[in-house]
Amino acid sequence: MISVQNLKKSFGDLEVLKDISVDVAEQEVVVVIGPSGSGKSTFLRCLNLIETITDGHVYIEGVDITGKKTNINDIRTEVGMVFQQFNLFPHKTVLENITLPMQVVRKWNKADAKTKALALLKKVGLEDKADVYPDSLSGGQKQRVAIARALGMEPKIMLFDEPTSALDPEMVGEVLEVMKQLAKEGMTMVVVTHEMGFAREVGDRVIFMDEGYIVEQGDPKEIFENPKHERTQSFLSKVL
Amino acid sequence: MAEYFDINIVIEYMPYFLKGALLTIGVSIVGILFGCILGMFIGMGKMIKKWYFNFPFVWYINFFRGTPLIVQLFLFHFAVLPAMFDSVSATTSLMVTLSLNSAAYVAEIFRAGIKSLDRGQAEAARSLGMSKIQVMRYVVLPQAFKRMIPPLGNEFIVLLKDSALGAMIAAPELFYWGRAAVGEYYRVWEAYIMVALFYLVLTLSLTYLLNYLERRLDTE
Repeated sequence: MISVQNLKKSFGDLEVLKDISVDVAEQEVVVVIGPSGSGKSTFLRCLNLIETITDGHVYIEGVDITGKKTNINDIRTEVGMVFQQFNLFPHKTVLENITLPMQVVRKWNKADAKTKALALLKKVGLEDKADVYPDSLSGGQKQRVAIARALGMEPKIMLFDEPTSALDPEMVGEVLEVMKQLAKEGMTMVVVTHEMGFAREVGDRVIFMDEGYIVEQGDPKEIFENPKHERTQSFLSKVL
Repeated sequence: MAEYFDINIVIEYMPYFLKGALLTIGVSIVGILFGCILGMFIGMGKMIKKWYFNFPFVWYINFFRGTPLIVQLFLFHFAVLPAMFDSVSATTSLMVTLSLNSAAYVAEIFRAGIKSLDRGQAEAARSLGMSKIQVMRYVVLPQAFKRMIPPLGNEFIVLLKDSALGAMIAAPELFYWGRAAVGEYYRVWEAYIMVALFYLVLTLSLTYLLNYLERRLDTE
């Protein structure tokens, strides 16, 4: 589904990703953990080219996303993304946030888009908020709308960039619940998070990153209970 | 009383003040309209990253913000425009200069409005598969425009007041008629107070209009 080969990313002289190679299978839930500054968010952002790639290749369903003939907008409709800061459009209502890309990108007509958006809002438990503006929602509600908006494009892959890090503790659960549901339905997911409970419970595989490298990866249980690498051990001893 | 304030001057010149006020409104609307259109292009031009593409726009802004408006007005009315066209009226020169001048300020307002938006907005829109133009049209510009209203409003008010400089090249706007009245009767109070009142009514109406627009676009 996703194949990353020798991915490198630099910001000026600062090398953030130093040779990342990893594959993600269909319906797999991969959780990326690691200390801040380890490059995990940058890695995720390279997967849909929100961040340009310095060197190496990323293939989504076999298509090289930096290829000359690749239309990146087509790729991005297949790869949904959820951000730490939600990034809902404040000038649009909740419903419009979801229907805007449906109409503009997918070219669905207004009625179809609305029907589908309402179904998605129901799925994330916010059908009663369709006509309010995002500013009146709580953080957890905003993030659930953001997930619904990404799902509206009917993506095959979902990327989550620290989706619960900007939330008050009591709102983390409702967002994780939606993500769990999504994983259960067979969505291919790459999740950057600090929620170790989620990683252990939902993840098929955990990747530990540090200083721009994948230090260790494997079965969540194995990583959490029996980390091989010293840096993984020291990180986990601090967060668990 | 007539010794201090001769109402007859006001009455006699009222039609001219009204005519002048209409011209003031006219040149201001033209200046705002063309200033906005041109300013958006110049603002976008300045945002191009490569210096050899953006430097004409940067220097356009430098020139029009860095020199006095009255100097620009004289330069265009007596030099630039006569060199390009056979006969140029003072009103035309005033409209051209106000448009070019306000474009420089609008360009900066436009640029600041876009820059002030959180990067995440464009990123989210791009991540949904929108093209760069779609992101601009549906996500960035509507939000930037809302933020641009207060500074644009200030700019409109400044432009309206600056149009009085047209009197210096004999464009028959509001202040021109004020000076004409003073010139005829050698009395300063009546005409200048009336002219000031006219300007005040115009700027306050504009302020009211802009506040109304701002409230209408509020989503909170």
